[in-house]
Amino acid sequence: MKKSARVAIAALALLAAPTVLAGCSDSGGGAAPDSGPKALSIATMTLPQSLDPKDASGSALPFFQAVYDTLVKREPDGSYSPMLATEWKYNEDLTELALTLRSGVKFDDGTPFDAEAVKANMERFRKGGGAQAKTLNDVKTIKVVDAAHVTLELAQPNPAMLFYLSDAAGLMANPADFAKGDALKTKPSGTGPYDLDQNLTFIGTRWTFTRAPGYWGARLPYDTVTINYFDNETAIVNGLKTGQVNAALIQDADQQISAESDPKVKSTKQEFDFQGLVLFDRGGMVTPELRDPRVRQALNYAIDRKTMLEKIRQNRGEITNQVFGPSTAAYKPELDGHYSHDPAKARELLKEAGLGGGFTLKLPRIAAIVSDALAASLQADLGAVGIKLSWEDVDAGSAIKRIFTDRAFSGLVMNIGQSSTDWVVVGELVLPGAFNMFGYTDDTVKELLPKIQGRDAQAAKAELQALNEHLVKDGWFVPFYRMTFLHVSDGTVTITPQDGMAVPSIYNYAPAK
Amino acid sequence: MSESTPAALPSAPGPVRRAGAARLLLAHPLGLVSAIVLAAVVAGVLLAPVLSPQDPDVSNLRDAFGGPAAGHPLGFDSAGRDILTRLLHGGRNTLGGAVIALAVALALGVPSGLLAGYRGGRFDSAAGWVVNLVMALPAMVVLLASRAILGPTVWVLMVVLGFLVAPVFFRLVRGIVANVRNELYVDAAKVSGLRDRRIVARHVLIVVRAPIIIQVALVSGIAVGLQAGLEFLGIGSGDTPTWGAMLNEAFKNIQRAPLLMLWPGLALGLTNGALVLLAAALRDVLEDRGAAPAVRRRRAPAPEAPRGTDGTPAGAGGRARLLSVRDLAVSYALPGGGEREVVHGVDLDVRAGEIVGLVGESGSGKTQTAFSILGILPEGGRVSRGSITVEGQEIVGMPERRHRALRGDVVAYVPQEPMSNLDPAFTVGSQLVEPMRCKLGISRAEATRRALDLLSLVEIADPRRTFGSYPHEISGGMAQRVLIAGAMSCDPRLLIADEPTTALDVMVQAEVLGLLRRLQRERGLGVLLVTHNLGVVADLCDRVAVMKQGRIVETGTAEQVLHAPGDPYTQRLLGAVLDDVPARGPWRPSNAEVS
Amino acid sequence: MLSFIARRTAAGAVLLFVISFLSYTLLSIPDTDVGRQLLGQGASQDLVDARNAALGLDRPTAVQYADWLAHAVRGDFGTSWFSGENVMRAIANRLPVTISLMVGVTLVTAVLAFGLGVWAGVRRGAVDRFVQVFAVVGYALPAFLVTLVIVLVFAVHLRWFPAIGYVGLTESFTGWLSTVTLPVVSLAVVSVAGVAQQVRGSVIDVMRQDYVRTLRARGLPPWRIILRHVVRNASAPALAVLGMQFVGMLGGAVLVEQIFGLPGIGSMTVNYTTRGDIPVIMALVMVSVTVVIVINLVVDILIGWLNPKARIA
Repeated sequence: MKKSARVAIAALALLAAPTVLAGCSDSGGGAAPDSGPKALSIATMTLPQSLDPKDASGSALPFFQAVYDTLVKREPDGSYSPMLATEWKYNEDLTELALTLRSGVKFDDGTPFDAEAVKANMERFRKGGGAQAKTLNDVKTIKVVDAAHVTLELAQPNPAMLFYLSDAAGLMANPADFAKGDALKTKPSGTGPYDLDQNLTFIGTRWTFTRAPGYWGARLPYDTVTINYFDNETAIVNGLKTGQVNAALIQDADQQISAESDPKVKSTKQEFDFQGLVLFDRGGMVTPELRDPRVRQALNYAIDRKTMLEKIRQNRGEITNQVFGPSTAAYKPELDGHYSHDPAKARELLKEAGLGGGFTLKLPRIAAIVSDALAASLQADLGAVGIKLSWEDVDAGSAIKRIFTDRAFSGLVMNIGQSSTDWVVVGELVLPGAFNMFGYTDDTVKELLPKIQGRDAQAAKAELQALNEHLVKDGWFVPFYRMTFLHVSDGTVTITPQDGMAVPSIYNYAPAK
Repeated sequence: MSESTPAALPSAPGPVRRAGAARLLLAHPLGLVSAIVLAAVVAGVLLAPVLSPQDPDVSNLRDAFGGPAAGHPLGFDSAGRDILTRLLHGGRNTLGGAVIALAVALALGVPSGLLAGYRGGRFDSAAGWVVNLVMALPAMVVLLASRAILGPTVWVLMVVLGFLVAPVFFRLVRGIVANVRNELYVDAAKVSGLRDRRIVARHVLIVVRAPIIIQVALVSGIAVGLQAGLEFLGIGSGDTPTWGAMLNEAFKNIQRAPLLMLWPGLALGLTNGALVLLAAALRDVLEDRGAAPAVRRRRAPAPEAPRGTDGTPAGAGGRARLLSVRDLAVSYALPGGGEREVVHGVDLDVRAGEIVGLVGESGSGKTQTAFSILGILPEGGRVSRGSITVEGQEIVGMPERRHRALRGDVVAYVPQEPMSNLDPAFTVGSQLVEPMRCKLGISRAEATRRALDLLSLVEIADPRRTFGSYPHEISGGMAQRVLIAGAMSCDPRLLIADEPTTALDVMVQAEVLGLLRRLQRERGLGVLLVTHNLGVVADLCDRVAVMKQGRIVETGTAEQVLHAPGDPYTQRLLGAVLDDVPARGPWRPSNAEVS
Repeated sequence: MLSFIARRTAAGAVLLFVISFLSYTLLSIPDTDVGRQLLGQGASQDLVDARNAALGLDRPTAVQYADWLAHAVRGDFGTSWFSGENVMRAIANRLPVTISLMVGVTLVTAVLAFGLGVWAGVRRGAVDRFVQVFAVVGYALPAFLVTLVIVLVFAVHLRWFPAIGYVGLTESFTGWLSTVTLPVVSLAVVSVAGVAQQVRGSVIDVMRQDYVRTLRARGLPPWRIILRHVVRNASAPALAVLGMQFVGMLGGAVLVEQIFGLPGIGSMTVNYTTRGDIPVIMALVMVSVTVVIVINLVVDILIGWLNPKARIA
């Protein structure tokens, strides 16, 4: 219920990585009691910044998918299939991506969707200053071949490019609206399956999408889709039980149990986010002690993950020590148990590092993620090995600034989505960026990255696993556990979890049979 | 409560009543219980370090949700912290926060309220404007913005809250002080040359003390509750343990361990409930709204027997037909139980066409006697003995409905203080018309006509205008005429006039007395004139009864009593006429009047 | 009367102006770095600075305020820094929810609190004790606890009402009624408790007034004295409290709004203030101060009607 903190998180999630960072934003679904079988209303705790594609980000993607199509469609299993682009092909050295566009697609006002539109959209996205603009950093030029063909010339290979084109960067808006200032923010215009119904939409609380006439693609099963924003899961679960909500994603273990207690509620489990401490200060800029890998290892040994999982998540999840998820090539099952709970060893490591007297670690506390129990137990576990953990409360207004502008902390306890695309994980957590804000790297990483970047993930599996192992053993992160999230419906909807996102794509809902 | 101004003080929450306030509070059952609960909570919270030497933040996640164990009588919370310890330490912060809010509110509100109320003028208007501004501020925005500026601690929120509720105290104090400013004793203090500061300290502060204490109890409750609410919204105390934070944490685990809500909920509920109850009890005790009306304490009546009274138709024989009172006693329930008798066996007769004066100092029981006859004794008072007959009907023990039927058209009443006896919300006309329509069952037009006649009858120059006026728009003398007109409106046979001229200035007194006499003669009324003023008696009365300390000490014709008083008390009264005993103040509603 | 309203309106305009200045200043102090919030941690500082400049945030607060004021007096409150939504439209979307609650609670409170308060004040005894106990319980229980219990019992278990959501009055009357009933009840528990106490106290005070005794001495029946004279005279202070509660619900209903998932002004205030979306907050402040001014005016006029002495020419 700590609302401001939730907002903070939603904000973080919005700003952060596209899909990888589902943060604490979730989606849910629900149908209004008076809506017929052809209506779906989803409950969510994610507030999209606006409906302009340049403001799009991972967890808010369903809002955008309703109105805009992406160039590439990402199927629930993570595979890519044609959408606005019907074909795509890389050149030899993976620096040119040629796209063939679907013909005959028009925007609502008759403006044709063509190569020029793609170029206009992508250039606008890249320069638009949106949170995801950086995903197109590797795109050097966008070359219009003819109306139906466009080629992306990349500065360097980017194994996640197709993913990005199936995500925020791939959303195609009507270029005719680009000149109209901020029009797209509240009046989105795309080629997507639905239109935003201005009369039944109350931005910030309820968005109503109605079927777009003459949609080029396959009809989705629902005539109207309503996405309702709530700021707490209790309200969503209550609504699910009394029929105002028919689909939602529930993160909190307690609320999951509450939802499951209702016999008509159907649920599907998904493990996507892991919770853990992202230590971006491996260079010791804020807390010099962290420069020593032994100190970071000590942190890992000090944490009693098993008790945390049991008491905080009610065992709804799996202990992990690695940031790569099970569906990545880099994943090594044995790494999940690399660090046992061993305070003695932690103390020993600290002593070796010359820190027998302990040190102080200051972390920001986002109440929606770091519950009382988590805050207290981390404090106790670290305290037991001599590390004094001090929390600083941050909220929506101050979180981004304190953490990312002021760079006042050495780490951040976050929920981070585990993308199935290895390079997305690398991009978010290993390359310099938001979660590696001090740009730290080391020789092993420097050596491995080029071998990974130019190749398909499966082809680079050995290097990826080596990288993963290095990150774990060098204590780059302190992951706690992967959390089991629950997709719940009131029984009228079948929800297919989406690979690579905590929230299902808008295409993943269907009436229950 | 000096002998010379006996009735001026009783109502004001003055110093005399205050003395026993604490004792009275403890005698008040709810007050006692809430005081005990609060004392226990405060003691527990103050002694937290002693009672639970642990640090409230000590956590062992393995113990999370654990039940009571040795050394941990209430078990553990979701983070494996000892609930009792957190409850005690959380109380420190929660109550400490409330204290801060109160301190800020009092520090800002009370002095400015005193000054604005006492001085009035420009400071008053300026302060009033600022107060309006503060009250119009959107509290949530101010709280959140302050929190963003000053940091997320419970103390910041409570200081800001104190600032936001300061207007409550300002308005309270200002209102009371402005009212009190012109009271007799403040005037007297001014005349006697006391400096403002001393007047404020000595007289004014005492008056506002009780309402402030009550408000303090209520505002503490609000502060504690608001803290919990903010915590629930995530606008909380950071890592500081508070009851609100505990409740919020418990709420998050409600599916898993619903009982976690019990302790902080109980602590909050008990504290808040005790505060509200304490406020109610304080109000009962200090402002006298209680079920058991407090009776002004007075010296016990001297056990002297009624003196031989010549002219009094003593005994059962020879009772006047119009009004006859025998052995009337009036008692009041005491707050602690039991009764106090304030009128002890009064005998009195009024015949048709006769004016009988009932004379005595304030507090001698004359008004109680008059009220008994009318059947309008204040709450808690009752006729405990004796007989009253009106037109031969016994009214002691008569059902209220039948007694009511006698009021207005058989017995009518002219009160003492004209302004306070007219309902300020209605026009003079409608207050005259209403009883006539009710009692006589006549039409509105007819009643209006009669009312206008009555207003002419009582010598009001412009009846139509007065008819349409509100009480605050007419003078005291005019109001008294209106009340006399009201008393006459249903053609009564007996008029009971309680100090009908006391509140009027001398010129008007004479006119009103003249009017009464004329009406009495024209209509052949019997009049019982209650007064402390022997001059009035000499002017008007046929017979006089002198009352002292609830007893009739002397009865006789006006001439007898005035010229050859038999009782030393009467003699003293006669002497006092020359000293011009100050009129008593207006009758105060919040007291059981025993004069 | 007209000149009274005119004078109050003028005073209200001054109040609005002063509060707008204070609020803007207060809101500008915390450095929330809107540009950074909008662009995320990944954006370069140049981009953030550019975005802040585009929003005019690089100017001194006084200049920003003057700019805001110049637009505001023309009724242009701008667009949200975050959602790009027209501020007035955003508020207009949510105001009906809050107004439904405010009006509903005020009506329920007026009826119940006056009924209970007068009954308790007149009858005293057991009735009085009941009202007292109710008032104590209503005050003592944390508001959100009451609300949660109400949701659990009447929505989740009994299924009499929806647990969350809001249906506009224009969309469906029954839908509206069913969605606002529980929130109104939740809010009314506390406000009835408070106002009933106030009415009770005033009734007891009025019952002890001289004129009530005189009215009794005139032989009027008690019910008539109570209904016509006591209630009217006791109403003024209760009305003032009711007015304050009405105003308080503008922001104070936020707990109930959250629990019932109602898109009202309260949660809007909390959300936008935390993020520092000044255009939206300023408009909210203006709306709420205006409501305060209007309600105070209405209460004063009503009190003047009830109590001619308080009437201002």
